[in-house]
Amino acid sequence: MSFADSPSEYAAASARILRDEPTMRTAVTGAARSKDDRRRAAWSQIDIEAWRDWARDLKSHVLTHLDRYLEEAERRLIENGVRVHWAETAEQACAVVASVAVVHRVRRVVKAKSMLTEEIGLNAHLETHGIEVRETDLGEYIIQLLGEPPSHIVGPSLHRSLDDCRRLFHERFGTPLDAAPEILAATARRVLRDDFLQADLGVSGANFLAADTGTVALIENEGNIRISTSLPRIHVALVGIEKLVPELEDLAGMIQLTARSATGQPIGNYVSLIQGPRRPGEPDGPDEVHVVFVDNGRSALLADEHAWETLRCVRCGACLNICPVYRQTGGHAYGWAYSGPIGAILAPAILGLEESMPLPFASSLCGACAEVCPVRIPIPELLVYWRERAVAADLTPPMERLAMKAYANLAERPAAFGAASDLVRFLPIVKGGRALPVLGSWTGARGAPEPSTERFLRKWEQTYGAAHESSVRGKEEGQ
Amino acid sequence: MNSRNRILGYVRGATGSRRRLAHPGRFDGRYLLDDDRAPWERFAEMFSAAGGEVERFGTEDEAARWLVRFAEGFESATVGATVPSRLRPRVPLACPDLAALGVSVATGAIAETGSLVLDARDGRRSQLLAPTHVVFVREKDIHPTMVYALGRLRRDLPSAVGLHSGPSKSADIGQILVRGVHGPGRIIAAVVAS
Amino acid sequence: MSAPSAFHAGAAPRVALFATCLADRFFADACADAVRVLRHLGVEVEVPVGQTCCGQPAHSTGNREEAVRMARHTLATFADADHVVLPSGSCAGMLRRFYGELLGTPAAAALGARTWELAQFLVHILGAAAGPLGTGLAGRRVAYHHGCHALRELGVHDEPLALLRACGADVVPWDGDTECCGFGGLFSTRFPEVSVGMADRKLDVLPDVDAVTSSDGGCLLQLAGRALRRGREQRTGGARGAPRPGPPFVHLATLLREGLEGAGGPRP
Repeated sequence: MSFADSPSEYAAASARILRDEPTMRTAVTGAARSKDDRRRAAWSQIDIEAWRDWARDLKSHVLTHLDRYLEEAERRLIENGVRVHWAETAEQACAVVASVAVVHRVRRVVKAKSMLTEEIGLNAHLETHGIEVRETDLGEYIIQLLGEPPSHIVGPSLHRSLDDCRRLFHERFGTPLDAAPEILAATARRVLRDDFLQADLGVSGANFLAADTGTVALIENEGNIRISTSLPRIHVALVGIEKLVPELEDLAGMIQLTARSATGQPIGNYVSLIQGPRRPGEPDGPDEVHVVFVDNGRSALLADEHAWETLRCVRCGACLNICPVYRQTGGHAYGWAYSGPIGAILAPAILGLEESMPLPFASSLCGACAEVCPVRIPIPELLVYWRERAVAADLTPPMERLAMKAYANLAERPAAFGAASDLVRFLPIVKGGRALPVLGSWTGARGAPEPSTERFLRKWEQTYGAAHESSVRGKEEGQ
Repeated sequence: MNSRNRILGYVRGATGSRRRLAHPGRFDGRYLLDDDRAPWERFAEMFSAAGGEVERFGTEDEAARWLVRFAEGFESATVGATVPSRLRPRVPLACPDLAALGVSVATGAIAETGSLVLDARDGRRSQLLAPTHVVFVREKDIHPTMVYALGRLRRDLPSAVGLHSGPSKSADIGQILVRGVHGPGRIIAAVVAS
Repeated sequence: MSAPSAFHAGAAPRVALFATCLADRFFADACADAVRVLRHLGVEVEVPVGQTCCGQPAHSTGNREEAVRMARHTLATFADADHVVLPSGSCAGMLRRFYGELLGTPAAAALGARTWELAQFLVHILGAAAGPLGTGLAGRRVAYHHGCHALRELGVHDEPLALLRACGADVVPWDGDTECCGFGGLFSTRFPEVSVGMADRKLDVLPDVDAVTSSDGGCLLQLAGRALRRGREQRTGGARGAPRPGPPFVHLATLLREGLEGAGGPRP
């Protein structure tokens, strides 16, 4: 199993996965297509353009008033008996959770699937404190047992087949090698049920947080989030500061649109709306609830005139599902928590532009992602924006910059451009491309492009001479 | 200056010079096809489509009789704190994590999403841990839309509300659908008309 | 979009062809075919010889300064044209979608507004698909690849299909016909394995056709190049019997010219 440790390995990791793990491409494409088909069907039942406009406008409203909503949410959470923490960085967020765990002598944590906790590396941090962390989402549990990173933000184990799971469960739990999926599921249920009952602390993320009631909203299908946030005596929710919505009722639109976009369901099978710890008279529930507001690059992204719209993201995964680039390799090639189109535009903000390279370039700019984003993030435009920032920061190969400058010089001088273009026909197209590396990258697996015997403009000029130069007089000197 | 104030400071600085965008108003999610059916019918269709089962009873007595018969096959049950005594099964009670059957009362339901609204005051464990779950809900408490249901919920919010819209399901094992990991694999919505 | 009447009312609008750097070098015949198609439909075409590159390779790779320079040059080159027609969806998309924002002037935005990809121009300005156009493609099975820029930046989808059918072609369904072919300009050489994987996805399910066509030369180079190598690999892999050559990859302009004039018509 091959995966990148950081975005910088994308080119090599993607090549390796395609070469050495051909089943990954098939599995990822199959799962992504089926999710996209379901999204399409679910969208066709509703006035989707109106829903998307509303969701875009709601999130944009929140983001342009975010300080106000954060303060309101904090007030309400505290009134509800929730302990509120603030973490500027991934390290701080991990430290907050660890300190809650240490103070309460927590030995075992049950975790709901949370992209934010992957982003900050929470599991590894807790384990250094000797705390056992058990992922309870079935897909996350499977990859935890395998020691692999997630390959998709909604379906982390979609790269693993039934046979892979059979072999894993046989090794770990002694189930038969031909066990039916129901047997594997029952085994996981039994094993994790013990963890739920013994755990001292449940950790979750948050899909949304309604500021006016202080409600943490979580969406899932298995029930492990409901259980993780109900059984242990302490619940810690990590909430990215961009997750706010103004009012409880706003959750109706956001949750339904997110579910339809992620899996094609009208709603997630379980939605948790959490206000705080157990109240007097309630039979059960955690004694303590903590919310950790996490920044980790979000406020800086908010300050970016162009890229702030990225923060509308609801983590539905629709952009991954439709992305033809993502479908070739799955998430393992991207080298960090968020893959696909959203991963490429979040990385510069959360990891830094240099650390995120070359992800903003790992796209053909086909534009399919923008068509399926429920909150209308202009992903292709943002990819170009980050490419411009990368060029300005000298993060692209110097040869490319020089070649582009030379090309622009030529393009302003039609006679020279034409002459150079004529010469392309005589370039040595050598297999392996020692003459020009870029050609080698092409001819490795594709027939070389064949230039026409004579360029169209050259022929036109010869046929019609100077008769059609009216718009061009004086342009030969360059502008 | 602590983290809180620094973060809020960054956020204020970030939004300060940007044009503030207005709230678009209450979500009124329209569908392409109008649905004129009674809320309980819409609820029943959505809930069943997601793999849930629906029973409908004219009176609480009918519902109680059905429950006694239904529960006969189960060796033990856990019952929510707000379940009225006449809606209790006659099998031995067990701890929620050991019981075969869970019985709850929903404070409402949502027709457009096919969801039962479950309240922490009824007891979360009995709503989540038994493999089979029966939930009673009054027909008059089935609201047409989620927006409407949340609007009613806000008047009296407990520590946690769960919207349950079908049996627990996962496709994480080789993309094949399995049920009952980790919530109930079987859920019956028992709708009582009056 | 304007009605075709402008071309029959008397005053002849100046229609300029922007060949585009890629088509000029690799699809010269298709550029000539585009001119022939336009002439056949009663349009006199100018070809400003100062034209070079629309700037898209610079723009899409984040080299904004160079993109601006090339856009300025292009704007000046086509300043006098009433319509600019391109045998390329991606280059037409560059002018239509990005010139206004890149140069920030009304003139740039106005140029974008009167720029068209060839099929777009034929259908929306000339009304060419309103009825039968020709019989030159009768009996020919054709698969159409929708280039991403034409499809998503210009909203062109039905136009090329309608034109091909109006010439008698049978445009057959192709699973994934609106998915990216993997060219993406420099993307194709920066991430060659992924790019080839994307081409394979489409070629794996290519139906049995007489021609594969598209309005974008880059896409055709990508698909044709990959198909050629796959064909060679099949042959050297010891396939039994004579290897089946794949279908030719032909620019839309060329097919339309054949459709209007009949296959094998005289070339300029």
